[in-house]
Amino acid sequence: MGKTFKEALASGKFVITANISSPKGVNVDSLINQVKFLKDLTDGLVVPDNLLATMTMSACAASRLVIENGVDPIMSLNCRDRNRIALASDLLGASLMDIKNILCVSGDHTKFGDHIDAKPVYDIDSVQLLGMARGLEKGRDISHNELNGYPQFCLGAVANPEADPLGPQLNKFDKKVQAGAEFFLTLPVFNIDNLKRFMEHARKSEVKILASIRVLVPEEVHKYADGSYPGLFVPEDVLEEIKDASIDKGIEVAGRLIRDIKDRNICDGINLMASGYEERIPDILKAGGI
Amino acid sequence: MIVAKRKPFQEIKELISGYKKILIVGCGTCVAVCLAGGEKEVAILSAQLKIALRLEGKAVEIKEITIQRQCDREFLQELKRQVDVADFDVILSTACGAGVQLLSDVYSEKVVVPGLDTAFIGVAEGPGIWSERCRACNQCVLGLTGGICPVTMCAKGLPNGPCSGARNGKCEVDPEKDCAWVKIYERLERLGRLDQIKEIVPPRRYSVQQNPAIAIHEAYKRRFDKDGKNV
Repeated sequence: MGKTFKEALASGKFVITANISSPKGVNVDSLINQVKFLKDLTDGLVVPDNLLATMTMSACAASRLVIENGVDPIMSLNCRDRNRIALASDLLGASLMDIKNILCVSGDHTKFGDHIDAKPVYDIDSVQLLGMARGLEKGRDISHNELNGYPQFCLGAVANPEADPLGPQLNKFDKKVQAGAEFFLTLPVFNIDNLKRFMEHARKSEVKILASIRVLVPEEVHKYADGSYPGLFVPEDVLEEIKDASIDKGIEVAGRLIRDIKDRNICDGINLMASGYEERIPDILKAGGI
Repeated sequence: MIVAKRKPFQEIKELISGYKKILIVGCGTCVAVCLAGGEKEVAILSAQLKIALRLEGKAVEIKEITIQRQCDREFLQELKRQVDVADFDVILSTACGAGVQLLSDVYSEKVVVPGLDTAFIGVAEGPGIWSERCRACNQCVLGLTGGICPVTMCAKGLPNGPCSGARNGKCEVDPEKDCAWVKIYERLERLGRLDQIKEIVPPRRYSVQQNPAIAIHEAYKRRFDKDGKNV
């Protein structure tokens, strides 16, 4: 493995990460192929943790596989599926497996997934999870019990620059920074003015911000419009632009956003979300002038 | 108030299946207000059961009675005064879960079955509509959150602010509902008290929320042990 994700963040370069998909089952061929394909294109790969409350392979196991295939993983860890004991336990386990980058999230509600009758846990939230992880680094669990051997993490969180109203989102952003987040992945952005407004606030802290760029798939326009994807707010004009077009149009829109963000130095990098179209990531980067 | 709704008729029928003498006991407090298990609802349920069972050729005897409150031993005395429960094979209670259980305790030799599903602690929004407002978490934060409960009103019960999915101020889980944290933020902003949600809220203490819970008033503590048993 070359430079770690944390080193890339510290280097000042325009950081590029991408989301990968975990398998629903034990066949990891697709996961390994994604990692190998994206290895030289990215500074880290985001491993989902039962994304959209849809059960897939453990993020911890998948993240280890990412390491074994030469890339530094950013392991998502959600509060929906575990109480504080299980979260801390997974954090220690992740550390043992050399998984250092942890994306602390509350987690999409079970309503959106494939186990709608499962109990959503939310014993603690993402802010408290960040604080708990920082506590582990200092040798104490959340109930102040002493640890035998301390982990070290690079902790991240999410925020949504497209949130409306933005005030409550910024208040929570501040809490996440206070709790120990050192990097943020935004939810997918489409409106550069909204992103700039968010960044004006975010730049008051030292944290690194990667803007998520989602490749929109024309066949899914109705889902973007009806709220099927939590936190994904696609403006009407963009929906109109990609409707009835080919995936190339989605790539063009993504490229345009990347170019805007990079050329105007708005964020510290981007996180690509191209579920099902990972093989087009080189085209997306090219469209974005990278 | 406790809000409940009547169980599906078929389920109620199955619960009393095989019994010949059925006593339906209504409750005149919360579930009467929410039109689920009061005197009128008991009368309707009784009539429906009589018709349905007669059509099936089943000979049953059904009596109905509604007392003011099923969740209080004192009020259950009224039931004793009015009917001889020993005459019945089964009691169908249209109280909330608390009332059904107390009735089961008091008449432990009888089969007691519920006619309602207890839904939540809430308020009456208008005629025929109630909304949940409290999860009885035993550590109220309403003083910090502008009188809006994030434990109840946020679909995820998040204590430190909204998730990233609120859309135009609406909840990502149900776009018909307001995002609790947007409401909290806006109310505190109006009150000039946003400072109240700037600090990180520590993890909830579930140790104070262990069930089954018991509450003993200070003035009565010498009468009971910690489990509520007379000493």
